[in-house]
Amino acid sequence: MSAGLLRRVGLPLAVFAAGVVVWEAAVALLGIQQIVLPRPSGVAVTFVQTAGPIAHHARYTLMTTLIGFGVAVGLGLLLGFAIGAFSVCHDALYPLLVGFNSIPKAAVVPLLVMWFGIGTVPAVLTAFLLAFFPVAVNVALGLATMEAELRDVLRALGASRWQIFRKVGVPRTMPLFFASLKVAVSSAFVGSVISETVASNAGIGYLMAVAASDFNTRLAFCGLLVLAVMGVALYGLFAAIERRLTGWAYAESP
Amino acid sequence: MRTRGTPGVPPGGLHDPAVIELDGVGFEYASGGRRTVAVDGISLRVARGGSVAFVGASGCGKSTLLKLIAGLVPATRGTVRVDGRAVTAPLKNAGMAFQNPVLLPWRSVRDNLFLPLEVLRENGDPRAGDRRRWEQRAADLLRTVGLTGVEDRQPRELSGGMRQRVSLCRALIHEPELLLLDEPFAALDAFTREEMWELHQALRGRREFTTVLVTHDLREALVLADTIHVMASGPGRIAHVHPVPMPAPRTLADAYGAEATELIRAMRAEIRPVGAGS
Repeated sequence: MSAGLLRRVGLPLAVFAAGVVVWEAAVALLGIQQIVLPRPSGVAVTFVQTAGPIAHHARYTLMTTLIGFGVAVGLGLLLGFAIGAFSVCHDALYPLLVGFNSIPKAAVVPLLVMWFGIGTVPAVLTAFLLAFFPVAVNVALGLATMEAELRDVLRALGASRWQIFRKVGVPRTMPLFFASLKVAVSSAFVGSVISETVASNAGIGYLMAVAASDFNTRLAFCGLLVLAVMGVALYGLFAAIERRLTGWAYAESP
Repeated sequence: MRTRGTPGVPPGGLHDPAVIELDGVGFEYASGGRRTVAVDGISLRVARGGSVAFVGASGCGKSTLLKLIAGLVPATRGTVRVDGRAVTAPLKNAGMAFQNPVLLPWRSVRDNLFLPLEVLRENGDPRAGDRRRWEQRAADLLRTVGLTGVEDRQPRELSGGMRQRVSLCRALIHEPELLLLDEPFAALDAFTREEMWELHQALRGRREFTTVLVTHDLREALVLADTIHVMASGPGRIAHVHPVPMPAPRTLADAYGAEATELIRAMRAEIRPVGAGS
């Protein structure tokens, strides 16, 4: 393990571990009730005991998140390219997109439940609704910021709009696209958990809601931990993909 | 679009060596409900293999004129002809270079140079030539500009001057008839800029192309161009024409000689008359 990796991974883990130790000591020393704030060791015990159900719900949340995210990436790419490439699309759709994005998505969940019932569909749709915007906006931005000189160089060669789009537009948009994936996957995750909390029979959000209604604080903390780990893992995965595929946009000059 | 004409006879006829012909060319555009005339009444001819420069204060329409010649904007008055053909759409194989080298950062130097050839080949232009020859062309050009062996480097690994050289090579790799330069060396330091002047002279000696240069730098115009058009603004028009007295290829000694200094003094007075203030 290199010194850089040790610092980037080891240091936050060390701080986390220190926090857990302080937490454990504080709960014991201050005599805090377990129902208010459980000890980390107690949370760990509950985690091991309920590992099976937790894994089941985690898989479910991961599935709804990834389906919603996948749809958001596909449609976000299409809409972003349309907005970035055609000024008519930009003028017609961009204000609507901004207006739509300003609606708190949690407010849409009851509607989705009315239409689709409790379960997977509202969770997937909420994930999609949250993840869609960053992808579309970043892709549109990547196309819209193409240097006018570069466009002129290509047009003077007889290049068509389609050729300019393919040879320059798409590649130069990729760093922004991959950067948006990190944000979008986190948003999708938030979306599916919100929906599961309100209207679902499965998923970590549902697990948290059930734990809360049972005053099972330990289980609620288990849920939080799973959410944190999954969120970091998804973000890390897409950050790694981004650096691998579009390193040219970040590499420093010697 | 192919030209009609007798086989073997260049478009425009054997007796007219002009590759660029402008007749009463003007460009007018609407902005904020008002019509603005950017350039007007431009008539000139540039001989095949010649080199012409447009100089003038900012806003005199010299960049617009370059775009008119390239067909990137359509003339609203008069006609632009390149190679005897009226220009109504962007040209098919002009080479362009700007102050900003605009290389593609995700491509190696080699693949940046191949970009024009890829476009031409996709469009079925025979000038793209055989893919096996591309490598040779790239190597030849890079050698001429003193960048032998950088094909596999990434643009970010190059200095500003090196990038500008690559940009110039990209503008020439498809052996275009026209090389259109808009302030190509303005962002470079003085020494690199002078090297680029000499480079252009060397390239002119090796290849057949016609140069159109837009610049603020009067000395640059004098080294690169055989004829200098001094433009005036409101609307942009050609106010004075100066043939450059020294024959090409011109050297730095020419650029800093007494004749050059005298011509620069004259042009400067035309662009900003003494006592006119600024």
